[in-house]
Amino acid sequence: MVRYILRRVMYMLVTLFIIATLSFFLMKMLPGSPLNAEDKLSEQQQAIVLEKYGLNDPVPVQYVKYIGGLLQGDLGISFAFSNTPVTDILMDRIGPSAQLGAQALVVGTILGVLLGLIAAISHNGFLDYTSTVIAVLGTSIPNFVFAGLLQFVFAAQLEWFPVALWGDFKHTILPTIALMIFPMATAARFVRTEMVEVLGSNFITTARAKGVSEPGIVFKHGLRNALIPLVTVIGPMAVSLMTGSMVIEQIFAIPGIGEQFVNSVMVNDYPTIMGTTLLFAALFITIILIIDLLYGLIDPRIRISGGDS
Amino acid sequence: MDRKDNNIPKELLVLMKQKEDTSEKISAPSRTFMQDARRTFFKNKLAVASMIVLVIIILMSFTGPGMNEHGIDDQDLSVAKMPARVPVLEDISWLGFSGVLSDTFKGDTADHATQNAFSRYKSDEEFIDIKVLDEGDGTKNSAEVKATYHIYEAKDMEDTYFWLGTDTLGRDQWTRLWEGTTVSLLIAFVAAIISLLIGVAYGGIAGYYGGKVDDVLMRILEVLVGIPNLVIILLMMLVLDPGITSIVVALTITGWTGMARIVRGEIMKQKNQEYVLAARTLGQTNRNVIMRHLLPNISGIIIINTMFNIPDAIFFEAFLSFIGLGITPPEASLGTLINTGFDNIMLYQYMLVFPAILISVIMIAFNLIGDGLRDAFDPKMHK
Amino acid sequence: MKLKNWALLLALGLLLTVLAACGGDTEESKPAEEGEQVLNFVNGDTIPTMDPSLATDQYAFQFLGSTMEGLYRLDENAQPVEGIATDHEVSDDATTWTFHLREGATWSNGDPVTAHDFVYAWQRAVDPDTGSEYGPYMMEDVIKNAKEVNTGEVEVEELGVRAEGDYTLVVELEQPVPYFESLTTFGTFLPLNQEFVEEQGDDFATSTDTLLFNGPFTLENWTSTANEWDLVKNEDYWDAETVQLDRINHVVVKDATTQVRLYEEGSVDRAGLSSDLVDQYSTHDDYNVTPEATVFYLKMNQTSNEALANDNIRKAISRAFDKEGIVNQILNNGSIVANGLVPKDFVTLPETNEDFRDVNGDLVTYDIEAAQEYWENGLEELGTDTVEIELLGDDSETAKLMSEFLANQLSTNLPGLSVKIKQVPFEQRLDLDTDMDYDLQVSGWGPDYLDPNTFLNLFVTDGGNNKMGYSNSEYDALIDEAGKELAADNVARYENFLEAEKILFEDAAIAPIYQRAQAQLISPKVEGVIRNPFGADYEYKWASVNSAE
Repeated sequence: MVRYILRRVMYMLVTLFIIATLSFFLMKMLPGSPLNAEDKLSEQQQAIVLEKYGLNDPVPVQYVKYIGGLLQGDLGISFAFSNTPVTDILMDRIGPSAQLGAQALVVGTILGVLLGLIAAISHNGFLDYTSTVIAVLGTSIPNFVFAGLLQFVFAAQLEWFPVALWGDFKHTILPTIALMIFPMATAARFVRTEMVEVLGSNFITTARAKGVSEPGIVFKHGLRNALIPLVTVIGPMAVSLMTGSMVIEQIFAIPGIGEQFVNSVMVNDYPTIMGTTLLFAALFITIILIIDLLYGLIDPRIRISGGDS
Repeated sequence: MDRKDNNIPKELLVLMKQKEDTSEKISAPSRTFMQDARRTFFKNKLAVASMIVLVIIILMSFTGPGMNEHGIDDQDLSVAKMPARVPVLEDISWLGFSGVLSDTFKGDTADHATQNAFSRYKSDEEFIDIKVLDEGDGTKNSAEVKATYHIYEAKDMEDTYFWLGTDTLGRDQWTRLWEGTTVSLLIAFVAAIISLLIGVAYGGIAGYYGGKVDDVLMRILEVLVGIPNLVIILLMMLVLDPGITSIVVALTITGWTGMARIVRGEIMKQKNQEYVLAARTLGQTNRNVIMRHLLPNISGIIIINTMFNIPDAIFFEAFLSFIGLGITPPEASLGTLINTGFDNIMLYQYMLVFPAILISVIMIAFNLIGDGLRDAFDPKMHK
Repeated sequence: MKLKNWALLLALGLLLTVLAACGGDTEESKPAEEGEQVLNFVNGDTIPTMDPSLATDQYAFQFLGSTMEGLYRLDENAQPVEGIATDHEVSDDATTWTFHLREGATWSNGDPVTAHDFVYAWQRAVDPDTGSEYGPYMMEDVIKNAKEVNTGEVEVEELGVRAEGDYTLVVELEQPVPYFESLTTFGTFLPLNQEFVEEQGDDFATSTDTLLFNGPFTLENWTSTANEWDLVKNEDYWDAETVQLDRINHVVVKDATTQVRLYEEGSVDRAGLSSDLVDQYSTHDDYNVTPEATVFYLKMNQTSNEALANDNIRKAISRAFDKEGIVNQILNNGSIVANGLVPKDFVTLPETNEDFRDVNGDLVTYDIEAAQEYWENGLEELGTDTVEIELLGDDSETAKLMSEFLANQLSTNLPGLSVKIKQVPFEQRLDLDTDMDYDLQVSGWGPDYLDPNTFLNLFVTDGGNNKMGYSNSEYDALIDEAGKELAADNVARYENFLEAEKILFEDAAIAPIYQRAQAQLISPKVEGVIRNPFGADYEYKWASVNSAE
């Protein structure tokens, strides 16, 4: 097990290294530099600015320096915010994103499981169709349309919630709902399918025959078995939260990583773009690893051997 | 012994003919897997309905722009921001196709509020219906009136119909909506097909050859999968000039990875089956084995995956256009239309409503068809 | 049956969970204390830096202006009034200015503000090691030796500024500069406390803790990536009793629709309006239109496209689009049509006091017939009947609409012309501009000081902001003469400027589009905020909260 984890972590680091390299050279292909008003600068001054950002070295030297910096947790200095290290920007921004992501994941999954459960219990009944419709809408309607709709109806028209910005808990409600709709729908569909299958299986019939109460059957026997495969969809959910944050933070003017990333793209702030890309990639790979490990722990059928996986 | 039976006339005794053994016979008509799948699919009402809706949308995207005389870039500022107006439907007021703008206005008194309404609509008093909602008591903004502005009449355009209204530059939304749909669908289909080709080839090779080849190819894939695709797409849009081709390229760069993984997995499963061994033993080339034997057997999963790739591509295109990195004007896509709609959401909701509904319908349709196909290709669901 | 009940119960529970989540927390953020004067504003973006030498954008200059005090400060008529300097004398040859500084002005760490602080700051601004953009740009040809210092030919100490004692600042100019007094209000000319700046090193001006203030307000809770910050009354300011506001809270909101919703909600006191919102709010009591001295025009790159090198083609393009339509329909925010380069209500002629724009009149107007005639001639000279050009513009909402409209107008009104639109983020457009990698470009310019020169010197041959290959020696000579030989003769200078502007449009170098105005919702409780034509956008020193509201 330990060897397996070590091997996976090794792979992760190599992957990250390759991603860093690729994004570095991609950025080098692009036009633009911290000198966005070059004409006002004399040549000596340009040299000084380039020196500050380490841009006057040949590209391979820059690359070595960049990777060297990476190893020490240094992602360079932002072009857009003078003298501000990219790591500071990311640290500043990660709070709101993390909070929204966590809220959306937790609430979304719980509601999704409940919805799926209801659907499965009233199999082919009215509630089943209702929750199926909710699930299909949730996975289909583009999140920016949904977020805009929420903002327009609940904030601008009904004035129940703040329109935008980041502040107390109230500010997080609409963005959380907008963000959680995908995890919720995914979980609901998944749990429904699994539950229908589980509830129809022989051991449930046996349990019923033995006189186990309905709630007992649903929760003790059914849900437990239906939940295990849910771990596999955490990956897609996490991705949807990351990409969703870019859209939803824009719409609700929330100072998070996603909003920062889109803005950095808009102003050609390459060090910040690279830093954020790496952060996203690192998060993503870690989540995948955790899922794989969790899956091995939860499902007794899958055993990870020390050697090949 | 009773010999009564012997009385049977001889002519009744006929020699029994040997018949084919029917006990093993399948009474229902024999169907191939594909036929079964088709039957299951067509039994799924939602999927069939989605299919029909989608076909209509695709047809409309070609014929829609030609159904009226307005072109995609026919700008006329004098008819900018006209609300939707459709013959016949215009008489049913709650549908929103009556070609009127209406809003509520506040003021200290009903008169004051009415004045506000008049000045909002540039004082065409005879074309404005006022309905007092609240007389008010003279304090600030206590009175409220609802004003309905007959803008088509005011502009002396009783005979003109912009079915879905016009945008901020006076372009017909109906025409732009369908042109936009064409662009969005085109991007989605092309991106999905290219992803399919690359994904199947990549996954097929990795799965079939296995070993070292598989190892290398999968490591490369893992790196690509390691970055959320929206990040890659955004980065690609930075490098490329904005436009349809760039969007397709950006979408395919990440789009094929899912397909490649699935195809690889399936091929790995199938390649050890007897029929493959048989084909090999009979001396088929690798190419033939893959093309003639393996691919047809995993076609179901490929089709399903493509069906889910298309709405993904539509979403990403719309997202890019939404944040301003997509299609260059004057061309439109559903994303750019939604983007424009959002900028006008406070006052001219119709600009957002139609493209938003259309994109949602398209996404839902593709997802339902995808679900239907998944069930159809699942032997457990065949009845 | 039993199962069904269970499902219902679950559904109910689900509903309750959602409702509970919705009903939560109603705590409001920091309410104003009784009698406290507090305003809440939105800012369009973060403040990238608070270093006066490195500042280049409107937000940096805005908050530098609010938190620091230079020699002078602009009043409501855009005239300089006393700041750290109480008065000044100008030598007979108009090249030596002696400023008398007030005693008793202090930095927020208690140090007195002295003439040495100005000497240090100005030297730092042109010191090549600082890497300032605006320092050399604002000081070259103005302050003696600024250019030489910046190119490293002489030491920074040679810059024409010195302290005579703690409270007398002597400035030597390269040549007479009639607008020097208004220059001293600009952010780049603010003083800096040498000891503090050097102590902070690279961290200087990256957060509240690494800044010193000497202006009406101090900046609190700020870091360079902060989305919220406050201006708090500076009790140590020399004129603190004039300052009435206790606090101005700022929060970053980029989207106009969101700004307006926040305004409606009452959480901010001022919101910008985009054109579609103007429709809705033009009747609102709080609706305000503020004219600006910023002009937008089409730059026509003569080096990238053969057709654009042709005078007739350029003349045709500059007359072929409906400016009224742009102003009334697309912008719809009080902006006015521009038919010249120098904006309306910006500068007046010396002696006669007539507005510069009125004197020179409309130099190029929308005129399809004339445009088509020029177009025909141009095509004939080129020997072709089709021309393809690319139109470069920003990707903001209004800019996009504008590009679409311009492209459509040009290709409709000029037969044979096809226009391809290219939209890029603002920063990228500046890059493409610098590389001269465009055909047509929608570009704008706001003044940096109160003189026509700030507009007209843009298009001298190889000028830093020319970048379109325009060159006319006659034009160059007029601008050069205005800056040197005629520097002391203001009437003659203005003659030159008037003449130069005419030449610019005889050559059809650029095609003016509009002069910008800003439509806003401003709460009636906001009083006494001054809108500056250049430098910091807003002046809050004399602002207050109207308690009647």
